[in-house]
Amino acid sequence: MAVKPSVARVYSGFARGTDCIITELEVSVTPGIPTFSVIGLCDSSIRESHGRILTALRSSGFNMPKGHVTISISPAYMKKSGSGFDLAMAIGILFASGQIPYDPKRKLYAEGELSLDGSVKGTPGAALRLNKAGREGFSYILIPEEERDSARCTGFEGQCVKDLAEACSVFGFAGYNPEKLLLVEDTAGQDGSPDISMLKGQEKTKRAIILSAAGFHNMLLLGSPGSGKTMAAKILSGILPPLDASETGDVYALYEALEGPSTRISSERPVRCISPEITSGQLLGNTISMTPGEMALANHGVLFADEIMEFPSQILELMRKPLEEREVRLFRNGITYTYPADLIFIGAGNPCKCGMFYEPGSRCRCSAGMRKRYLTKLSGPFLERIDIFSEMRSIGKDDMALMYAGIESAESPKIKEKIARCWVSQHERYGGKTFNSNIASADLADSMRLSKQILSYCSELASKGMFSARGYQKTLRLARTIADYEGRTDVIKSDVAEAAVFRAHEL
Amino acid sequence: MFYSDGEMKDFYYTAVMMNTGVDYKVIRELFERKEIKTHRDLYDMASRPESKIRGMEISSRSEKKISDWMGSKGKVEKACEEYMRIGEQNGIKVISTLDQLYPLNFRVQTGMPKVIYCKGHTELLKQCSHQGAIAVVGSRNASSYALYATDSFSREFSRKGITIISGMALGIDRKAHEAALEGTGSTIAILAGGPDNVYPNENKELYRNIAGRGLIVSEMPPGQQPLRQYFPSRNRLIAGLADCTLVMEAGAVSGTLHTASFAAAQGKEVFVLPNNIYFENAEGGLRLLEDGCCVLFSSDNVIDSVSQAILRRRLEFPDLMDSKEQTGITVNSDSKRDKISLIRLKADKTPDEVTDDEWKTLIEDELTVKPLDIDNLCRILGLPFYRISELLICLQMAGRVVLENGKYALTFR
Repeated sequence: MAVKPSVARVYSGFARGTDCIITELEVSVTPGIPTFSVIGLCDSSIRESHGRILTALRSSGFNMPKGHVTISISPAYMKKSGSGFDLAMAIGILFASGQIPYDPKRKLYAEGELSLDGSVKGTPGAALRLNKAGREGFSYILIPEEERDSARCTGFEGQCVKDLAEACSVFGFAGYNPEKLLLVEDTAGQDGSPDISMLKGQEKTKRAIILSAAGFHNMLLLGSPGSGKTMAAKILSGILPPLDASETGDVYALYEALEGPSTRISSERPVRCISPEITSGQLLGNTISMTPGEMALANHGVLFADEIMEFPSQILELMRKPLEEREVRLFRNGITYTYPADLIFIGAGNPCKCGMFYEPGSRCRCSAGMRKRYLTKLSGPFLERIDIFSEMRSIGKDDMALMYAGIESAESPKIKEKIARCWVSQHERYGGKTFNSNIASADLADSMRLSKQILSYCSELASKGMFSARGYQKTLRLARTIADYEGRTDVIKSDVAEAAVFRAHEL
Repeated sequence: MFYSDGEMKDFYYTAVMMNTGVDYKVIRELFERKEIKTHRDLYDMASRPESKIRGMEISSRSEKKISDWMGSKGKVEKACEEYMRIGEQNGIKVISTLDQLYPLNFRVQTGMPKVIYCKGHTELLKQCSHQGAIAVVGSRNASSYALYATDSFSREFSRKGITIISGMALGIDRKAHEAALEGTGSTIAILAGGPDNVYPNENKELYRNIAGRGLIVSEMPPGQQPLRQYFPSRNRLIAGLADCTLVMEAGAVSGTLHTASFAAAQGKEVFVLPNNIYFENAEGGLRLLEDGCCVLFSSDNVIDSVSQAILRRRLEFPDLMDSKEQTGITVNSDSKRDKISLIRLKADKTPDEVTDDEWKTLIEDELTVKPLDIDNLCRILGLPFYRISELLICLQMAGRVVLENGKYALTFR
């Protein structure tokens, strides 16, 4: 005699790349010899949930129903993994077996891993999942208490639960008590970046860093070892305006997916340093584990490539496309996974093999040919992604003394404010979060308010060999940033002249 | 009329030299006997009464030649008019020893033409004197090695403001001109025929470019075909106008060797690009090296040689070299120094009142000692980065400074 199975539907989700797939879990309980099966391309972390659910149900005062328990997770064609389905599965079983009242009209989203004593734990990727789940119109959303921080980042409304019993009480006398979780403005981190006044006597680099931050321009620093290239990158992160709420969410979501719920929420812009031994997987992301790479992790922040001349040229070429498109694309099983990579790229390297080329006196022992060979590492197309070129020298002894004698006045905070204003004026002009460095190149003159005189002055500079033809546009963009930083509505000639100084290089 | 009276007399002088027996010897004798004061007086001499001409105390050879000329006055006048007509058509300028622009390098040597015909930017002649000039010569069918070296040296020197002089032949000459044109365009082509005559025909495009951005020079009047016998004389001018000569590649028998020996005879240094000893087309050059010419190994030695030449000229012609238009030049005369110290004082006390030009003078003054990077310039002058960069770009545009190895250096002058 066929018995109509009792089926309950609950929802959960899993992260794929930076995307989240909402899944539907159907739980059926039919009489028979007790079995437990989970179907829908699940990996063993999901199949093992049987043990956790069984014990957790008992610990919370419920029973595993006697009979066939079948759980189907759809879309069934996608591979899934993670223990975050535990809570949804457990509640689904309780619904199907009638242990708690089930109302099919009210959709429930639940996630979290169950421990044997019935408490609910968070799983990595929560921020990504909740971002999606929060907007799907679920009647109930239940998440682990541990994922509260992730939820705050997404501007989420739902209920945090400690254990299975609390989750079930939502359907009983306690009722559903959702709370609106928002990011409170206590996220500004302790600013550990050195002050910009540390760059004493390096006026060009100082200005270069400011402009790079002001217009989100990529930068290349060449200088001898110990001239402060790494410090320059740290200073840059210190003068960048803080992340806004949605950017904070983006950044947190990615880090949370990687490091789990213990990640601290911070509005500080990420700074990722990469070194020459980096692999393509570490740089762009691993296509097997789908962990994001350094370029994705530097989204909204700074990617600092130290010793750029020592990088394998293959790695440098791999960076080219993401730098251009401002996103990283990974392919796996015919599916494209896109990670945004809107970042400031800073390359730092030696100007020649011994590194002493810019040093005073003739301390460099490299011949012209050696130098040329050394610098050809950076290909033309790669250099095309760079807006600002600056050189650095080791700091003179007078300046060194001044530097460590204590900083008379911190300049960074003031500059930071000025840059924030500069950003606002760019966003106002272009709309959205577009910068001078990434505004579409069509009709640049119009969108940047460049006069005929400025254009012709710029081409005059180009014709005199101050920079290459392809540097023309970059020069205009940089000139626009200089004008914005100085608070001018229109670009003037001296802005273009200054921009040209940053375009002059020997590469 | 296109040409002034004086210039017409210049044409007349050339017409006499080209069409009658009168030669340099005769002219010299006339100068020595004080019969003429300048070459232009030749025109007035033609209209002197015959008795006065006969009364001159000159050698019988000269007397014969002069009476020759007096017999064919009509022919000379006709030739003169023809030159002027063609000259006018092609926009050709005349420069004689009486002109300010007449190259100083020609003045200090004997046997240089009193009148030269030019097409293009005649100011280049002045630039030659102020910033130096280098002759780059070599074989017409040169090896790629020599062509490569020509290209890189010419480009570098041109970027430093040094004028590249050559003969607009194929091969090395052509490469030298092209590279200089791609630099600042400071290049002079000295032709064997008249300045309107393109030779060889393959260089038509190059001729146009040089006439447009550089300068074409010839001692021959407009309309004159380049004859075989004119070429050695032309080579003499190439060596004469330059401060030193670079021989990029020369076979055992080559016009290039003429140029080199002219240069050596004029006491100028000859640099030879070293080459493979088994390469036949380089034999002439290698022989020159054997004879003690300098090896063209790096640009530094060439620049030293040019700078010495400029220094000598400066001592020899203090007024001509220090003319008012060249304000940017840092000549170490007292007035200049005083001016700079005044600006310096002003910059210390009231930096806001210092004009851009004054700042530029200060920058150039700093750079005379040694090339400096932009950070150091900021520190020394106490100007913010954006001001310095603006001034430097202006100076760079004007060709007064160049960026070399990350430092700003004065262009060569």
